[in-house]
Amino acid sequence: MAATLAAEPITGGFSFENCRRNASLEKMGIKPPTAYKTGTTIAGVVFKDGVVLGADTRATEDTVVADKNCSKIHYIAPNIYCCGAGTAADTEMTTNMISSQIELHRLNTGRTPRVCTANRLLKQFLFRYHGYISAALVLGGVDTTGSYLYSIHPHGSTDKLPYVTMGSGSLAAMAVFEDGFKAEMEKEKAMKLVRDAIAAGIFNDLGSGSNVDLCIITKDKVEYLRPYDEANLKGVRQGNYRYKKGTTAVLKKEVVKSMFEVVKTQVKTTKPESMDTT
Amino acid sequence: MEYNGAAIIAMKGKNCVAIAADRRFGVQAQTVGTNFQKIFEMGPRLFIGLPGLATDVQTVFGPYFVEPVIAGLDPKTFEPFVASMDLIGCPMVPDDFVVSGTCSEQMYGMCESLWEPDLEPDDLFETISQALLNAVDRDAVSGWGAVVYVMISLKFLTKKKTRYKRH
Amino acid sequence: MALAQVCGLNEFSLSSQGPKTFRDESISIDDAVFASENFTIPTQFDPVENLKQFTSPESDVKIQFDHGTTTLAFKFQNGVVVAVDSRATAGPYIASQTVKKVIEINPYLLGTMAGGAADCSYWERVLAKQCRVYELRNKERISVAAASKLLANIVYNYKGMGLSMGTMICGWDKRGPGLYYVDSDGERLTNNIFSVGSGSVYAYGVLDSGYRWDLTTEEALDLGQRAIYHATHRDAYSGGVVNLYHMKETGWEFISRTDVLDLHYKYQDEKKK
Repeated sequence: MAATLAAEPITGGFSFENCRRNASLEKMGIKPPTAYKTGTTIAGVVFKDGVVLGADTRATEDTVVADKNCSKIHYIAPNIYCCGAGTAADTEMTTNMISSQIELHRLNTGRTPRVCTANRLLKQFLFRYHGYISAALVLGGVDTTGSYLYSIHPHGSTDKLPYVTMGSGSLAAMAVFEDGFKAEMEKEKAMKLVRDAIAAGIFNDLGSGSNVDLCIITKDKVEYLRPYDEANLKGVRQGNYRYKKGTTAVLKKEVVKSMFEVVKTQVKTTKPESMDTT
Repeated sequence: MEYNGAAIIAMKGKNCVAIAADRRFGVQAQTVGTNFQKIFEMGPRLFIGLPGLATDVQTVFGPYFVEPVIAGLDPKTFEPFVASMDLIGCPMVPDDFVVSGTCSEQMYGMCESLWEPDLEPDDLFETISQALLNAVDRDAVSGWGAVVYVMISLKFLTKKKTRYKRH
Repeated sequence: MALAQVCGLNEFSLSSQGPKTFRDESISIDDAVFASENFTIPTQFDPVENLKQFTSPESDVKIQFDHGTTTLAFKFQNGVVVAVDSRATAGPYIASQTVKKVIEINPYLLGTMAGGAADCSYWERVLAKQCRVYELRNKERISVAAASKLLANIVYNYKGMGLSMGTMICGWDKRGPGLYYVDSDGERLTNNIFSVGSGSVYAYGVLDSGYRWDLTTEEALDLGQRAIYHATHRDAYSGGVVNLYHMKETGWEFISRTDVLDLHYKYQDEKKK
């Protein structure tokens, strides 16, 4: 990139500015920081009146649990939601971008967006990047033509199925689905099945953990239950580790009053009182 | 990360929020300075901490080798806010604390045991300071004292500097 | 074994017929080699190749040797000052702040530890045994020169096989104070001042600016402590406490063990005056 003092206009999309520098830094032996991943269990089923999406809530950074309660069921449209597994930034940004495109599409057409539209946008977007965008998605929603559930792989291939799982806990979750799935289930049964599938991932896959989030989409209602179930409750701390005030040696202390912006000015006129002459 | 070394924590309290960073600037094993700025004031009641490659800390944005930590009070409601990001900008917004740097494992350990909900500003200061100082004591490439910022929603902003813990 | 040797028993009659020992049997057994004869290892075993699987950057299991250290020793009119830090690191992680890096070989010999902690302490233990055997045979203490050469000869036999040590052998003998540097390459040097480890460059800076042969004992001990403190200040892989020893005609004396934090404030106050 040209070295100019003036800020470059923001063109959007990816920046490859530092790729060569970073590659040579890595060759020098400098380890780049690791990105957050969602070693994940996500799943969904189609039931009688709509779809149930489910996800665990663990985000990892290498072997460390970075976030114990992250949200993996992303909003696409009022009637469409999407679960994400893979590199956390990629699933977050991909679903955000598609969500905004769908919203523009909705405003242009004046119609409720269809699930197949979101699916097509996502697969075409991911295919462009040949799997370098590490996002494995479970897309579900209800539109005028019915209830749909898609699984979308990072390279851009998709499947339309009545029950799907994705992420590192997908095998455990799929085992539950294969055992318990029936066509045209009642809502309660479908919710229980998805909960059990996610719980199987939480307990059997090290990359998944914490709580179960559910999102139930039906023709006229969306229920986003977060958390739906806390599979792992943290123990209650018995002792008190609070430090006494003054434990930390303070070298210098500064108190600064922070600036305030004037949000609203109000001028009131009041009647002048008569002067007290007594 | 390990090239320059850094340790940053942000924590929520009751109507207050704190962010703390160590002060070492080093090039691998060599300590070059002990008063390096890692926390930047981005606006009233808003701070970010940038641990990572020092050159990127000072130029920032893009796919740089930094893992930012954000702490602040909501401009309208004064609700405490902490968040962290990975190097490609994936935000993580928990309701307790965030850590980032070369001794993140040690900091996670300290914070998991020390943090509790609704800490008053003074207690929050002790908690975040001790969490950071004890964590960097087990890390060769960060330390040499700390800077702590405590933001209190009483329309005051408190800055505190601390160095070297004593038991 | 040592007693058997002193009594003049034939080594060959004692050596076991079990697994093949690491040393080639055809090599004549002198004192130095005899000490290391007892390693039993599988046939077709290559220690260098074996070590690679743990130290190469690609391997999943990694052993990170303790390379971060500052140790120093210098001779002056009243003997030898030995000062070391106490930090052990595994990568950036501080594994310990209370390592003893001075090895007390016997009342007249000290060895310092840099590089592989196990290599240093094991081989200096072997050296301690050899020195005792020498004393029993010759009815007098071994010289510092001979002791350090014994160690250098042992490690030279293992050259290129992955040993990692940089040590200073300090003592007092008929010739007065003795100071030798021995490392795992087989190098052996003598001089007035030595410093070994990642923080040695900083320690040398302080030593060179403050060193004289006619330092008083008090000045010399302070110089040693200061040099280690400044090294721990700049070098991330050195720290903890400063262990200070003084080698005199009557043998070594342990002087002090001081936290570098206390030294930091002490020196800071001195500057203010």
